[in-house]
Amino acid sequence: MGNRRLPMEGVRIVDLTHDWAGPHATRLLADYGAEVIKIEYVRRMDGMRGGRKEREAYNHHPRWKQINRNKLSVTLDLTNDSQRRIAENLIAHADVVVESSRPRVLDRWKLGFDRMQELKPDIILVSLSAFGQTGPDATYGGYGGGLEALSGVQVLTGYDAETRPPLRIKEIDVTNGVMGACAIMTALVYRTRTGRGQHVDVSQLEAMTSGLIGEHLLGFFDSGIQSPLRGNRHTEHAPSGCYRCAGDDKYVTLCVQTESQWVSLCQLIGHPDAALDPQFATPALRHAAHDAIDRMITHWTGGRTHEAAMACLQDRGIAAGAVLNAEEVANNVHLQARAFFAAARDGSPGNYPGPPFVLSGERPGIRRIGPRLGEHNDEVLGGMVGKLKEGEYRYGPEEIGTAFDIK
Amino acid sequence: MSTQPLSHLTVLDFTHHIAGPYCTKLLAGFGATVIKVERPHTGDAIRQRGPWLKNVSERRSVLFEWLNTSKKSITLDIKSPAAQGIVARLLNHAGVVVENFAPSTMPSVGFSYEVLRTMRPGLIMTSISNFGQTGPYRDFKADEIVEYALSGAMHLTGDAAREPLSPGPSITQYTAGMCAYIATLMSVFRGAATPEGDHIDISIHECALDNVEVSLAEFLHLGKVGRRNANEHTLVPWRLYPCHDGYAAVIGGPIRNWLSAAGMFEEPRILDQKYEHVAGRMEHREEFNELIQPWLRRTGKKDVYATGQARRLAFGYLASLADVAESPQHQAREFFGDVNCGSAGPVKMCGPPFRLSDSFFEQNRAPLLGEHNDEIYKGLLGFQAKELEAMRNEGVI
Repeated sequence: MGNRRLPMEGVRIVDLTHDWAGPHATRLLADYGAEVIKIEYVRRMDGMRGGRKEREAYNHHPRWKQINRNKLSVTLDLTNDSQRRIAENLIAHADVVVESSRPRVLDRWKLGFDRMQELKPDIILVSLSAFGQTGPDATYGGYGGGLEALSGVQVLTGYDAETRPPLRIKEIDVTNGVMGACAIMTALVYRTRTGRGQHVDVSQLEAMTSGLIGEHLLGFFDSGIQSPLRGNRHTEHAPSGCYRCAGDDKYVTLCVQTESQWVSLCQLIGHPDAALDPQFATPALRHAAHDAIDRMITHWTGGRTHEAAMACLQDRGIAAGAVLNAEEVANNVHLQARAFFAAARDGSPGNYPGPPFVLSGERPGIRRIGPRLGEHNDEVLGGMVGKLKEGEYRYGPEEIGTAFDIK
Repeated sequence: MSTQPLSHLTVLDFTHHIAGPYCTKLLAGFGATVIKVERPHTGDAIRQRGPWLKNVSERRSVLFEWLNTSKKSITLDIKSPAAQGIVARLLNHAGVVVENFAPSTMPSVGFSYEVLRTMRPGLIMTSISNFGQTGPYRDFKADEIVEYALSGAMHLTGDAAREPLSPGPSITQYTAGMCAYIATLMSVFRGAATPEGDHIDISIHECALDNVEVSLAEFLHLGKVGRRNANEHTLVPWRLYPCHDGYAAVIGGPIRNWLSAAGMFEEPRILDQKYEHVAGRMEHREEFNELIQPWLRRTGKKDVYATGQARRLAFGYLASLADVAESPQHQAREFFGDVNCGSAGPVKMCGPPFRLSDSFFEQNRAPLLGEHNDEIYKGLLGFQAKELEAMRNEGVI
């Protein structure tokens, strides 16, 4: 299967997104073969390029290289008529345009969906705005920190009722990007069948609420009850928790899903009698006695490393996982066996996390790391579209501004 | 009425729990015919997990009702000898299989991809599992907390002084469900040109690793190992603060809008030059945080949100589920809608995760166990009533 085409080869995406959610959506498509042309504005670069300009720091952040890998970078000022015409030319030769600005921004550039359809009748436009294209809050802006709180995700995450305020999980930009990729794929399959493009409206707020906590909303509408904070405990199974191990800030998690796992756990941690104790006989009873059970487990885990504890538990068929930090994830034997981390083929140093899924035995390699600002101006603007003179898209270092500049 | 994007697909759905059913919920909502194959008598174990719908005497799981909208349910004991022939007949009608058993299960009952592909050339089979189809953890058990721990995300979640915390939402499960949807459609998309089929390997663990892609990249390239720090963010202000009636998300971005907006805090000292740039606010984090508190303490959360947004800053507030349910934005967009749940009556649910201008998402109630046995076995496959009766008596369905 090694020489099969990647599934998205031949699809061209014009990428007007910035920061994290939108770029993650296009990264997924790029990982699987799409040609993603990222249009950048030099006077206010993408926030992920950071706030420093010395020694071209904006080209060297690992986060940038990761989130924008496999993409091409061209620099265009869409407020400038002649440069916007170049962007129109790109759109006329594209399958999909993805953007993540507030709703009126495309119109300000005279690049609304109607105009895009004139340029390319079956164009797909995917808008990943904070609140959607319509409604009283449509023009509002959003980052993960505000949206996670507004979505209902944050109010459900905390140790207990005393956790004030509830805690962030901080992964919302990525999950919204994944949902953005769901939207792109849905519209592409539809176009294959019908020949028609369309405008897809992804409200990041709705994507989070519908895509991550739909059952909690359904339950709330049905009963009027908001799901309680449950810390590391499980709604059904018991025990479930995160237990201190030997070492600095080391923990192991486990979740007992069946009665036979409960018996195995009791034997493993040196309390075989507990397996027969009627006060622990069902998950409901174990929920009631959870604090006492936690003490028994911690007594056992405290003398072991988190990885040794996990191995003993898994060996007895109990769901368990060490709480790994980034270094431990990077060195994890299972991920190494699956060749999850790999270097890019462009010869740049170091490894990157792999594309997240494998089609027919092939995990696509990473072709190139996130591009330098305007790295592909010559290749894309001078070559692919044609007829563009170098002077039309050149910029000088004095023109470069960051998203962190206050003027 | 326009065509649904996936109305040409029929999916044989061997999934249970969360990740698999969320993938097939999206497929069904966008038009695929999804035939959920469940174990006779008990079905998907989530059917037995509370909380339960209120207005109905039998136990109907809230989680099951959410995850299985617009699907059909048939019962089949896949371990029974008769299952081979039945699955082969079902595959005459279904070009996609989605399953999330442990990796050894489908091959052990004679339904490996290699076998199924002989029954249906060009078959797309999406296999979702805890740790993937290969590798030393292949057969390990997991639950949400275990996946979250092994992904590196849990180490970064929670208070610095306490144990790591797992999230309220089943985030690794849902992320994997979305990835499975994307991968399946990528294969469908490629298959339109070259129908070779695919066996797709979705590891919930690896999908969850993408959620911490930045912290992984920063370790791999800078040797940086982060630690959890509650809600604190590098940038200032960029987190929840207590306000008059709850918590407001005070977000100092887009950075360029800060200066013109800072007057909202009614605190002249905040306009001092040392707080103008975010670097200065980061340097003077504590004193800056003190300065914005008086205005926040006398202002309600929704007013903080509206005041910040009116000044082009991306503020928010900590919404309870009641706040979410009553949100004027959601109401204006009709985000919540009634789904008629049969004897449970109409139940309100979230709408689709994204909206198509030229097509639509549809949500009908989740099926009762084996509700579509007659429709599928008799109507689609042509079994006779007495054959069905025999299969029922033998425990096949």
